[in-house]
Amino acid sequence: MTLGAEPPAPGTRSLREDRERMADIEPGDMAYQLEEGLGRENLAGMPEDGEAQLAPGVEPQARSQWQLFRRRFVRHRMAMVSLVVLIILIVLCFGATWIAPFPKNNQDLLSGSLSPSRHHLFGTDRIGRDELTEVLYAGQVSLAIGLAVAFIATVVGAVLGSLAGFYRGWTDQLVMRVTDLFLVIPQLVVLAIAIRAIGQTTSTIALILAALFWMYIARVVRGQVLSIREKEFVEAARACGASPFRIITRHIMPNIIGPIMVNATLAVAGAIIAESTLSFLGLGVQPPATSWGNMLSDAEGVVGTPQAYLLYFPGLLIFITVMAVNFLGDGLRDAFDPQSHD
Amino acid sequence: MASFIIRRLLYSLIVLLVASFVAFAGVRAAFDPLAKFATVKDQEVKHRETVRLGLDKPIYIQYKNFIVKFVQGDWGTSDSTRESVASMIQRSMGKTLQLIIPGIIISLVAAIGLGVYSAVKQYSVGDYVFTTASFVGIAMPPFWFGLLAIEFLAIRSKDLLGLKQNPFYFVGLHSGNGNSIDADYARHLVLPVLTLTVQLIAGWSRFQRAAMLDVLSADYVRTAKAKGVPRRRVIMHHAFRNALIPLVTVVALDAGALFGGLIITEQIFSIAGMGRLFVGSLTNGDAPVLAAWTIVAASFVIIFNLFADVAYGVLDPRVRLS
Amino acid sequence: MKRKLRPTRLLAALLALGLIAAACSSSSETSTTATTQVNVPQGGSLVIGAEQEPDCVDWISSCAGSSWGYWMLNVQTMPRAYDAVKTDGEYAYAPNELLAGEAQVTTSPQQVVTYKLNPNAVWSDGTAITSADFKYTWEQITTGTDIYDATGYKNIESVGTPDPQTAVVTFAAGKNYAAWKGLFGGGYGIMPSHILASVDRDAAMKDGYTWSGGPFMLKSWTKTDNITLVPNPKWYGKNKAHLNEVIFKFTADTAAEFKAFTGNEVKMIYPQPQLDAVDQIAAGLPDANSAYTADTGNFEALWLNNAAAPLDDVKVRQAVAYSIDRDAIVNQLFGKLGVTKALQVINAPIVNAYSDTQAFAGYTKDLSKVDELLTGDGWAKGADGIYAKDGKPLAITIKSTAGNKRRELTEQVLQKQLADAGITLTIANTKAGDLFGKVLPAGDFQIGLYAQVLTSIDPGRCNIFCSENIPSAANTNSGQNWTRTNVSSLDPLLAQVDTELDDQARAAANKQADPITAEQMVTLPLDPLPNILLWSKTVVGPVSDNAILGPFWNLADIGIQS
Repeated sequence: MTLGAEPPAPGTRSLREDRERMADIEPGDMAYQLEEGLGRENLAGMPEDGEAQLAPGVEPQARSQWQLFRRRFVRHRMAMVSLVVLIILIVLCFGATWIAPFPKNNQDLLSGSLSPSRHHLFGTDRIGRDELTEVLYAGQVSLAIGLAVAFIATVVGAVLGSLAGFYRGWTDQLVMRVTDLFLVIPQLVVLAIAIRAIGQTTSTIALILAALFWMYIARVVRGQVLSIREKEFVEAARACGASPFRIITRHIMPNIIGPIMVNATLAVAGAIIAESTLSFLGLGVQPPATSWGNMLSDAEGVVGTPQAYLLYFPGLLIFITVMAVNFLGDGLRDAFDPQSHD
Repeated sequence: MASFIIRRLLYSLIVLLVASFVAFAGVRAAFDPLAKFATVKDQEVKHRETVRLGLDKPIYIQYKNFIVKFVQGDWGTSDSTRESVASMIQRSMGKTLQLIIPGIIISLVAAIGLGVYSAVKQYSVGDYVFTTASFVGIAMPPFWFGLLAIEFLAIRSKDLLGLKQNPFYFVGLHSGNGNSIDADYARHLVLPVLTLTVQLIAGWSRFQRAAMLDVLSADYVRTAKAKGVPRRRVIMHHAFRNALIPLVTVVALDAGALFGGLIITEQIFSIAGMGRLFVGSLTNGDAPVLAAWTIVAASFVIIFNLFADVAYGVLDPRVRLS
Repeated sequence: MKRKLRPTRLLAALLALGLIAAACSSSSETSTTATTQVNVPQGGSLVIGAEQEPDCVDWISSCAGSSWGYWMLNVQTMPRAYDAVKTDGEYAYAPNELLAGEAQVTTSPQQVVTYKLNPNAVWSDGTAITSADFKYTWEQITTGTDIYDATGYKNIESVGTPDPQTAVVTFAAGKNYAAWKGLFGGGYGIMPSHILASVDRDAAMKDGYTWSGGPFMLKSWTKTDNITLVPNPKWYGKNKAHLNEVIFKFTADTAAEFKAFTGNEVKMIYPQPQLDAVDQIAAGLPDANSAYTADTGNFEALWLNNAAAPLDDVKVRQAVAYSIDRDAIVNQLFGKLGVTKALQVINAPIVNAYSDTQAFAGYTKDLSKVDELLTGDGWAKGADGIYAKDGKPLAITIKSTAGNKRRELTEQVLQKQLADAGITLTIANTKAGDLFGKVLPAGDFQIGLYAQVLTSIDPGRCNIFCSENIPSAANTNSGQNWTRTNVSSLDPLLAQVDTELDDQARAAANKQADPITAEQMVTLPLDPLPNILLWSKTVVGPVSDNAILGPFWNLADIGIQS
């Protein structure tokens, strides 16, 4: 159940709730697009037109919530493809020690930069390091930051957002004011100062980005909780004497897990791009650690030179990762609630 | 409505104060404005500069001096260039505006067109193509796109098309020291604006499409169709206008953020706008400029946020401005 | 000597192009691809890429410490007494057209320099350049507020103006200043008293000034965009300007400058010597000429902290020096450009006349010497191949400016070489501002990899090697002897180099000091930093670089083909 799926209450909608709802309208209809021949997916397993006809002798089968979810997710082909792509990427990058064709940082100063060839699939950089190897190792950092930021931001954001939405009152006010403040200040100002003050290692950058990203998730979660808390089943739970903790974790959370997961995937994509932007400004990870953003910013000067190929690969990998993550988010949104866009 | 606006403005003032303090104190703490004197033989200059910049005073006193003058209209002078901060920001804002205004107009028109078309012709080939393209646009890191655009559209294209000069320029907004609006200016403007619009169109068209789909499946549209209203009129008269409303908000929010947000694009294309001013004052530890910059950029965000809220409330009578 | 590190942003991209034999007689020191002598056409407008915009152009003020500002505007518009010129492959000061001849120096009872001015020398408004301008300049520098660096001028007791064409500069007793030729010229120039004496000099100059005493004058300074120069119609010198207009266009950074050049939006650039530039030049530039020279005022070294263990032991310092094959580093990195030899003295090539240019030549890679030194000092090689003493391994950290690809590269090569010799090297780079503002002055380092930039032909190094200049309470921690060099035999020699007015004796003292620095291994010189100049083939004339005055020193002789 997503907020807004019911017809608007007679009279008014609160602007704030409407805003939060709009944050949800990240169009996810790609799923439907690429499912050739499937047309519009309604409820799981139900044919589009006509009546359900069961062959004689076949018993209708009950399906669990998880099975329904999995079924819907699997039908979203792009999401499946993206999941596979992401898994491959993660395996390749984190297994770089065993997979990469050359050791990390293997300089060969005399050969310098070579164009892509059979020996060096992605070519070499100016000091003779195999670009493919460097890209794989750099992926460890970029992916690690993306995943870590999403995880931390989601956990923190979900907790604080649900507390704010459930308790309202000054908890709500506090969370809202803080997030308001930081969402208004241009992010790079905050990031630049924080990173300079705290340090430029992979972990500190991930922490600082997470400290910024949780706010988006908290607001979405808060909006969701606000709408759910008025539902009858919550009232019923309260009437049964359930503690707030139980209500939130057992009753509310499972119903809003969808938007949370979707926003978590968006956070992965956002974190990867944010890290590359920071590296571009010199605020990212420092050598000897490399990240895709780092490699990309180093390649700024090769535009118009024969070494332009150094520009393609790190950016391409960021692009593929973000695309895959976005599709995945799409698939998750779909799987959690196939009705959300019709 | 009026009380809503006033409450929001008051609250925003507090936000601005806090934001500017964070920026001021933060950049003073994190970046050292005296670093450039490290190797000057005559070290007395360090003492003099310390006194001149007031670095010997506690940070809240430094900030107080700054903000008291700021609200009276005296934005102070830059620590490093001693130029008036107000004129620096004005000049930078002018350059950034030259990117933002065409960018927003083009993106808006394109996004609405593409979004509506995609929604109306859902599942068609066109819809499929545009939606894929928007996914691509959203996933594309902006600076990668910018650099690729320079590489292929400006540099490689010259050889490919056998031209005498690069078709597009990518350093600043004018060649040499010109400053008129002519073909040269246009050739400079194309690539940076393109980089900007790709991101905006991708996001906004998706949004418009979803909003349009939402509206097209609403009861009142179904009623209109059932009543026999011609399809075209249904779309343009009933659906489209309502579908625009959420887009107004998104556009306003994004536009507000753009004023301080073109940092990468300006860096790549050497355009001396707000983004470059930010990066420059950051590395120089120039606190007055950075604090003023933050206030200006945050103000734009706040104003556009407010505009978005009010416009939404005005356009959609079902919404209550709480 | 005025030593000044290039502003932070320049440093952040400083990369060596190559190493060139420090010996004066090296052959491939300078390389240029411009060969033909063409008649330089009159007229035309030249757009030059500038990667840094000066903060202000009130040259003596603290906001104006910018090399680019100096090269673009100061050199073109400010009169100078002496110029650094290169004759027969060596840099030396020669009198500018402002002077009627060499200045006369008397040394007893105190240093007195008498300048005779060219009676034809005039400002752009026709007023003669007189000794009053000398006096005004000195007064402003020594009594003005917010002056950048008054070194040298502070030693002057008085400036006499017996007649408009004669200036008598008297130095205070006991305060001889050997590098006097860098004064009244140098990074400041001479200012017009008749225009500025009655106004606030800073306000009148900082955003640009319309007068000039040089071949060009400032037409406009559009901030963040460009500086435009036009010829000075009253220029009294021999060489009149050919170009109608020179536009210095500001670009964001070196990468942008390069893009602008390859995109033909600017016709000439003077980039930081980065790997990009090396690659481009080695690959050949079809429409452009290039010139690079390692005979410059910039050099890089491994600055060793003499007060930080384990480097406080001279034997360990020497061992480090014997572990490294400096020639191989240079050759590996820049052999493509014909640059193969390391720098063998802790000073820039332009002061080779004052240096023992082979002082460090004995330090080549010699692992047996390393072993001899270290084992004799109580170190023993452990099972992992690393030397250890009292249970502690020989581990050193190197710090340099972050974001500088070539320096990172150098560090990585060093890391490998030292590991092979049994020493662990850890790399810990930091932002240039922090490095020079905090880390080095505080002594929070073991090896520092950075460059020194000379802004005048002054071999003096007392400020960086004399023991009195070690940062301490006595000099409010503003001393610049960051290596904490404390060699008693070195101090008097370096002090003499700063005050000895007899050029021969000065050179002799400096040449005596160099071997001491080598023996005590206070710092290990690495490479001279070359300057690279790239210009389009449509730019004609004797385009070349001057290590002190910059690449635009002879802009008046340059023209452009349409």
